[in-house]
Amino acid sequence: MRDDGAERVTDKFLCGRGRQRLGRDELALLDRTVERVRDLPPRHTLIRTGEQVKVSTLLLEGFMCRYMDDHAGYRQLVAVHVPGDFVDLHAFPMERLDHDVATLSACRIAMWTHATLEEIVETRPHLTRMLWFSTLLDASIHREWIFRMGRLDAEGRIAHFMCEMKVRLDMVGLVKNDSFDLPLKQADVAEACGLTGVHVNRVLRGLRERDLLIFRAGQVRIMNWKQLSALAQFDPAYLRGGL
Amino acid sequence: MSRLGPETMAGKATAETGFVLLDGPGGVAVAMTAEAARETGRRLIAAADIADEQPRADD
Repeated sequence: MRDDGAERVTDKFLCGRGRQRLGRDELALLDRTVERVRDLPPRHTLIRTGEQVKVSTLLLEGFMCRYMDDHAGYRQLVAVHVPGDFVDLHAFPMERLDHDVATLSACRIAMWTHATLEEIVETRPHLTRMLWFSTLLDASIHREWIFRMGRLDAEGRIAHFMCEMKVRLDMVGLVKNDSFDLPLKQADVAEACGLTGVHVNRVLRGLRERDLLIFRAGQVRIMNWKQLSALAQFDPAYLRGGL
Repeated sequence: MSRLGPETMAGKATAETGFVLLDGPGGVAVAMTAEAARETGRRLIAAADIADEQPRADD
């Protein structure tokens, strides 16, 4: 809670990736103008493809995803979001999304109306630029996901996904002793990496046997960052937008 | 900057819980039933035999 009584919802926004460029008044403005905070259950679809969107969502707790289904109904995750991420800020200028947005775990979200964001655009150019910057960080992650899917083998893809999760969660203070909660099923990891569950299971076993990473019961423990990140060809620079 | 060309190394095929996993070459990562793997293998060999008889284009 802030001194003026507004609920502090922006504590994790842009942590580790440009937050120092935000003024306290800008964060206070976002805190003050949030329309509402909601709790969502796991596996809940928040926005469907093509639906008109009139609010933008900041993830406060939990994990969310964006996904697209193929004609046979098989799902491809196109993004995984962690606390501090705006999940659908790009819907503000676009008004409709070309993908679904859903929770992976129980979540808490904060929402701003697009009318509020419109006013911010009209009156606060620097804050607008920072919100725009946050969507460009999302785009940077998308490009890295394209690289992952196109150029890495199964082991590399999963190693890369786990390295990315570790760095993103570390930025928002959710990693301790190289371990973090990741309440995803192996099927979710498969859908993020363009693999089958069988493949994911085999790769995770191999990573565990080689003492690189353990993923069990929604928890990840990285035992050898150097080798894991080398396997993943992982360079975290893309997560910081070059900062 | 290198230009991507046809792979020269074979992929690795393994069996896992009744399925066949193909890792590589390159970014290939696919799981299939034994039947699909068998047929894919047959088709790969047939295409390789034809490719052997064709003039090779520049990569």
